[in-house]
Amino acid sequence: MSPSVETIGIPALDRYLGGGVPKGFTILVVGRPGSGTEFLAKQFASAGDLQTTYFTTTERDEDIISLMKQHGWKTSAKIINIGAKYYETVLARRLEISRYRQEGLRYDDIVKFRDGEAASFEINFLTSLAYEISKLPTPFRVAIDSLDFFIENYDTVEVLSAMRTIKAHTQHSGSLSLITLLKNVHEPRIQSSIEDMADMIVELERETVGDEVKKYLIIQKVRNNPALVGKLLCKFGPSGIHLEG
Amino acid sequence: MLAMVDNEPTRERCRTGIDALDNILYGGIPLSNTILLTGSCGTGKTSLALEFLIHGALNGERSMFLSVTESSVKLLENVIPYDFFDRDLIDCKNLILVDLPVIYERLGLIKAELTMEEVGLLVHSIIDLVKELGVRRLVIDSITSVGYKLKTQEKIRSFILKISKGLSAVDCTSMLVSEVPPGTQAYSMFMVEEALSDGIILMGNMERRGDLLRTLQVIKMRGTMHSRAKYVLDLTPAGVLLVPLLKGGGGGTK
Repeated sequence: MSPSVETIGIPALDRYLGGGVPKGFTILVVGRPGSGTEFLAKQFASAGDLQTTYFTTTERDEDIISLMKQHGWKTSAKIINIGAKYYETVLARRLEISRYRQEGLRYDDIVKFRDGEAASFEINFLTSLAYEISKLPTPFRVAIDSLDFFIENYDTVEVLSAMRTIKAHTQHSGSLSLITLLKNVHEPRIQSSIEDMADMIVELERETVGDEVKKYLIIQKVRNNPALVGKLLCKFGPSGIHLEG
Repeated sequence: MLAMVDNEPTRERCRTGIDALDNILYGGIPLSNTILLTGSCGTGKTSLALEFLIHGALNGERSMFLSVTESSVKLLENVIPYDFFDRDLIDCKNLILVDLPVIYERLGLIKAELTMEEVGLLVHSIIDLVKELGVRRLVIDSITSVGYKLKTQEKIRSFILKISKGLSAVDCTSMLVSEVPPGTQAYSMFMVEEALSDGIILMGNMERRGDLLRTLQVIKMRGTMHSRAKYVLDLTPAGVLLVPLLKGGGGGTK
């Protein structure tokens, strides 16, 4: 592999791209629910020689590792579980609040708070995502699954600003970032802003032809290389996604 | 200068423990009244309110201070070293200090403005605490700060009406501390507080011959007759001292 490119995790796709993904690229993976964006993120996170960090907002660590093992991928990526942290801090708090609202507040509940329990403030997960990435040794390989969590919970402006920071850091350090995003669920404006920011967009698509479900990997965008835009037939096999034909 | 209502049936009193004030009120605040303690900053509202609670606690009545802006820990550090104050009152929970922001936080009332439903929830929680602990004297310092979180007159009215009703049902006498900017004529910031409370004690500053005097005046008190004279107030380690304001005295006053 040439020193200026990195593997995306699918050897045939690397070849199609002329050896791999240029270093410094931010890759956006879009698709409808169930199209395999999460799967591709994990395959990406299991490939290459760079130190890899996998940010998840929805899955448990053990499920991620188990899927990687099942496909014979390496599991050396460091997993940062934003979803779990979100549950512990925000969702658990909300549950507690609804309990207090329902059952009433007792004096002990107030004293409990005063005696040592740290004043809970809401963690800004978007800021902590950008922070975690900023302190990674470079060059790095980062997968973020998924951006939808951040769009749902934070202002558009904030999300875009954090994405810009991550993208700039990825670019200047010659690293590689892959971000997943659901298709057609967000406002078109935010979707296009994110697409505009990405250096490469991969869309996962399926189509039912007769009894058969055909799956495609569509290259929607490759910065400065429009010739690579195209629709590739793919399959999800025992060792992951591979291209057909 | 007394506003006499002779034929009124005598209501049970909550003796504030501040002798001069009890005299003005002919024995104390009528039990379960919710009164407004109003004045601009530095007029001694918090000190007087705290003294009211300490006397209650010393008398075996459980007393609760709901602090809205200042943390209750800080408040205790800055409290006047009253001769009669005993830390045991806090340790044995006769004097209870609660930070209202903790209640906000517990109930998830984190938005800048509460909804009407949340106002009800907040009142309900305060009343629940009063019931649970058997609180007989309650101070909210200040109702003005609570008002900033309620924003509209409608919600402030609802808060005060509900809380005074709830407190009165359990025979709890309460003081709502109200802050007004210096020099205003109004007794409260949102104008509804003064109309809804059972009594108003006005505290003020007055300059006389280069001295800044603190003054106290009972403007209204349902359920009792009272003096409406203005008194000069002195905050001392022995508690609040009140002396009638001498008229004249060299033309220092207007």
